[in-house]
Amino acid sequence: METKQEHKNTVGARLSNESFLTLFMIGVLVVLFGAACAVVPNFYLPQNMLNLITNNWFIIILGIGVTFLLISGNFDMSVGGVIALTGVLSAYFCQGANVSQNALANGLGLPYGVAVALALLCALGIGAINAFFIARLKVPSIIVTLGTMMLARGIGQVITRGAQRNTSLPDVFGVVGNIAIRGTSIKISVVIMVVLVIAAFIFERMTVPGRRTYLIGANAEAARLSGITVGRHLTFLYLTSALLAGITGILLASEFKAGVSSRAMGYEFDALVVSLLGGVSIAGGFGSVLGMFVGAVILSVVTTSATGLLLSPDWQFTLKGIVTFIAILAQRFALDRRKG
Amino acid sequence: MKLTDNVLEIRDLVKDFPSVRAVNNVSFDIKRNSVHCLVGENGAGKSTLIKILTGAYARSGGKILLNGKEYSPHSTKDAKDKGISTLFQELNVVDQLTVAENLTLGMEDTTFGFLRKTDKINKMVSVMNSLEPSIRPRQLVSSLSVAKKQIVEIAKAVATESDIIIMDEPTAAISESEIARLFKIVKGLRERNVTVIYISHRLDEIFELGDYVTVMRDGKHIDTKPVAEIQDRSELIRMMIGKTVFEAYTPKKDPSQETILQVRNLSNHKLNDISFEVKKGEIAGFYGLVGAGKTELARAIYGVDEYEGEILFKGQKLHPSPNKVIEAGIALVPEERRSQGLFTILTIRGNVPVMNMGKVSRHGFINAAQERQVTLEYIEKLRIATNSTEKEVIKLSGGNQQKVVFSKCLFADADLLMLDEPTRGIDVGAKSEIYGIIRRLAEEGKSILIFSSELPEIMNICDRIHLLYDGNLKASLTNGYDIDSEKIIHIVTGGA
Amino acid sequence: MSVKGVKEESDQLQRERSLAVRANIKRFYIYVVLALIVILFSVVKLGQVEMFGRGHFLSPASVINLLRTAVPIMTLSGAFTLLMISGYIDLSVGSAMSLSAVVFALMILNGFPFLLALVIVLIMGIAMGALNGLLVMKLRITPVIATLVTLSLFKGIALLIVPGGLSAIKGSAEKVMPPWINFYARKAVLLGMPWAFFVALAVIAILVVVQRKTILGKYAAAIGGNRTAAELSGINVVRMGWLLYVIVGFFAALAGVARASYMSLGDPLSGDLMELDNIIAVLLGGTAFSGGEGSVAKTIIGALIIMCVTTGLMTVIPAYWQTVAKGSVLLLAVVLNHLLVREKVKA
Repeated sequence: METKQEHKNTVGARLSNESFLTLFMIGVLVVLFGAACAVVPNFYLPQNMLNLITNNWFIIILGIGVTFLLISGNFDMSVGGVIALTGVLSAYFCQGANVSQNALANGLGLPYGVAVALALLCALGIGAINAFFIARLKVPSIIVTLGTMMLARGIGQVITRGAQRNTSLPDVFGVVGNIAIRGTSIKISVVIMVVLVIAAFIFERMTVPGRRTYLIGANAEAARLSGITVGRHLTFLYLTSALLAGITGILLASEFKAGVSSRAMGYEFDALVVSLLGGVSIAGGFGSVLGMFVGAVILSVVTTSATGLLLSPDWQFTLKGIVTFIAILAQRFALDRRKG
Repeated sequence: MKLTDNVLEIRDLVKDFPSVRAVNNVSFDIKRNSVHCLVGENGAGKSTLIKILTGAYARSGGKILLNGKEYSPHSTKDAKDKGISTLFQELNVVDQLTVAENLTLGMEDTTFGFLRKTDKINKMVSVMNSLEPSIRPRQLVSSLSVAKKQIVEIAKAVATESDIIIMDEPTAAISESEIARLFKIVKGLRERNVTVIYISHRLDEIFELGDYVTVMRDGKHIDTKPVAEIQDRSELIRMMIGKTVFEAYTPKKDPSQETILQVRNLSNHKLNDISFEVKKGEIAGFYGLVGAGKTELARAIYGVDEYEGEILFKGQKLHPSPNKVIEAGIALVPEERRSQGLFTILTIRGNVPVMNMGKVSRHGFINAAQERQVTLEYIEKLRIATNSTEKEVIKLSGGNQQKVVFSKCLFADADLLMLDEPTRGIDVGAKSEIYGIIRRLAEEGKSILIFSSELPEIMNICDRIHLLYDGNLKASLTNGYDIDSEKIIHIVTGGA
Repeated sequence: MSVKGVKEESDQLQRERSLAVRANIKRFYIYVVLALIVILFSVVKLGQVEMFGRGHFLSPASVINLLRTAVPIMTLSGAFTLLMISGYIDLSVGSAMSLSAVVFALMILNGFPFLLALVIVLIMGIAMGALNGLLVMKLRITPVIATLVTLSLFKGIALLIVPGGLSAIKGSAEKVMPPWINFYARKAVLLGMPWAFFVALAVIAILVVVQRKTILGKYAAAIGGNRTAAELSGINVVRMGWLLYVIVGFFAALAGVARASYMSLGDPLSGDLMELDNIIAVLLGGTAFSGGEGSVAKTIIGALIIMCVTTGLMTVIPAYWQTVAKGSVLLLAVVLNHLLVREKVKA
């Protein structure tokens, strides 16, 4: 009897559980997409299609870090704060020094490149604080990262006095966030996002540290006994997540030519949602950045449809909650069924 | 209800697992208000029998009568409600509550939800007091030693009028003076209308404590006798191991003289000044029963637990951290394969290369084809029963899972392998396969440390046998035709 | 007794003694911290204002203001503590509070009598708690994720109820918010404090008693301390957990009513970060994250500490320092909690 069972599984068995779930979510995406085309007026426009992927680029970049941390069994809710912090710092560091009476128009006068490097360094600092509490003191990651989120955003608020810094900036400040590919409206940030996602996928599937992330999430004790230095790897993950958020912060600040302390409110939540929609399990050891990407597109479809159906933007929260909930249940159902 | 003479009657009890009959037509009685000891080697069937009594397993055949009535518990809680309480090794007390609160947990008297101090509490506290007056009812359980926590559990079982209290190796984790106190309490339970089923490997305890003893071997009931009728330890030991013929052990032809591992004065919370040497290509066995310190020794060498003392491997000092130890060339097959040895939600391919990813990757990039190749090699070499490298490890049988763990460690290119209970929970066929693998590895020049509580295992393949008892290395013997298994049992059960 | 035996006995005594010292530190540190904070804010502006005079941290007006603003967290954090003692968490409390405030304000605006509006909102609170209980206890979704889902749900509904164009339910040209809405939480009744304050005191007293002297408190600690032992003793963990979530929902709703009454409006964003304040209070109060240990009374002191810090800082530093201050306080509270509590090692 056992051989019959095994034979049945051979075809499906070649497909890993992650791939199965990603395909499942793609299926969900197709269904939702179809429904949207049918129900929402003007949904099926080429520009809309493109926007589905491009208008979420920052969430997707954040999602990379958040997904890897979820796979290892941890949260990172500080990413939104890090975006705000690096954006503000990138502005502050390169604002002209002593050019104005207004304190918010004076900065440190450093060259843009240096400003960016220093801002990213500060982002890494936040990541290091996360790593210290979580990897070393072993404090629950949800609490710590909420704290560092406030810390990061708070520093941004102090530097901008609760507002923003958008004057006396060098011209080069607004370049990188606004250049588009020649002939299209696709910003280079989107390209960066695609590159990062591909790199992340390669990392996750094909590299040793990527594999280590899954091992730690699957069984931290076995990982330790297999010679993996769990603390060091978690530190690496938190630093990377902070760096990704930092890069996003630089790009966004450049796009809007301002370092705004209220930027990216709630982005950490969105990053979490798209990871969950993509099939990442908080239990650890399971999930994929590709899935997260699909999850981001699903979220785009849902929010764009909502706008298209003339629902007010206030529907966002409710929709996100409902969609996440349904996704969690559906994924559980699909996986249970598969296990037979 | 008329009280029968026997509180428990076991008739033709059978328990079958997919590949083995763990309990084979066992029948015996347990007399009311006695201390009834249960002894037997590992794999004798004691733990399975106990699990049936506590409702963790369902029996496959036969019947059990408790107080004359059919007894078929479906959970530990159900067993407790029906009168059989168990003292497990993982204590079931809530550290953050007080002694009194633990005693009354689940049985409080309340008025509109308010906890009332009633006679019930007083009764329980007085039971507690009569057992051990130094435990104050308002003390937090977290401040108690393990021994005192045990007493709290006993008090609760007594106060709730359990007919039977099962104690599973209760002295494994407590000190000498605490053992004496425990014995006093256990003996006193007879006057309280409680029968104790006492499981222990420490034969002295049987003689000191027991009224009756039941010996099991290979799933069968050997004998049940009043302890008074047993002459001495040797008789008991003979009952336990019977006329088992050990597969002839063949000594190595050319034993190497090169020392590969030197342990000097190793001590920690459990271990006491342990020193020994292992030669290259040697299979060294560490034999002892529950609580002897085998796993603690393995973990100390592996760098997981702290220790004082020195360990030299290939002449170099060994750094106490798993990844440095692995780098130096030692790999561990842990005791609990599912929770410590395997990544159960991953596939075989996901598990096997883990300890030596450098060999299947270049510059950090994994070569999936190589991974698959290596996994197939080990599937073939160790004969793992699967038709795909992508099978989830959780779906494999125990024996095959253990083979995956072996593959993982072998792939680490270790010169010394530590195996902690390598064949626990594995069927006979897979067992001898694993022994074959171990012998082959030794022939190839690898050194093996086996930590086991199964004597036949140790006797069949080990060149040197180290005997552990209570954290001490009691004796080191060279295996050979004249090895005296009775003497071995004598030493590991506390004899001098 | 062998030499080893003697050593073991003295080891045991030493352990018991150091545990006793630790226990004493655990009992009193929080009062010390509160006192230090109060002294700090009383002293820091002494150059500019008179002690107890206008603008001083301990002036009657300031104290009344602080306590009035503290009413919602005082109402809620006791129940929150009970839930955390059992090892579970609820991140949706802030949104539950906002939603309750919005619904309450809406009803008052539309002419509902106070008591009716209150009862309806409290029932809604029970429903919100029951939903959390369903997700966590029955469907066994990780508490963090489950309550983040309900957080977005409650917040979303609150935002949808407020008509477009307005930031809160506060009345308009057509309808005016009856001024008596604030009799509950703002109007001085006794010693300058409103009804809501005394209700909060009563709630605290009740929950302290519940935690220490009733079966609910004991079972919460048992479940958080050793779930297996609790189950073996016959405790229905699913039902208990569900009940605790419902209680948290109920008091979140009550807190929302107090907030709406105090501000005379229903703000769908008023509860933002309330869960963080609660978590800080709970951390300061020495509750373990894995559960089993905790104290309602100490959490309340922790809540007072966080309120003092929040309002005190407002007098000393500009508003835009609030977030970084709060983040730092949270991280400090995490460190403090780490030093105080020996977490159970996850098996």
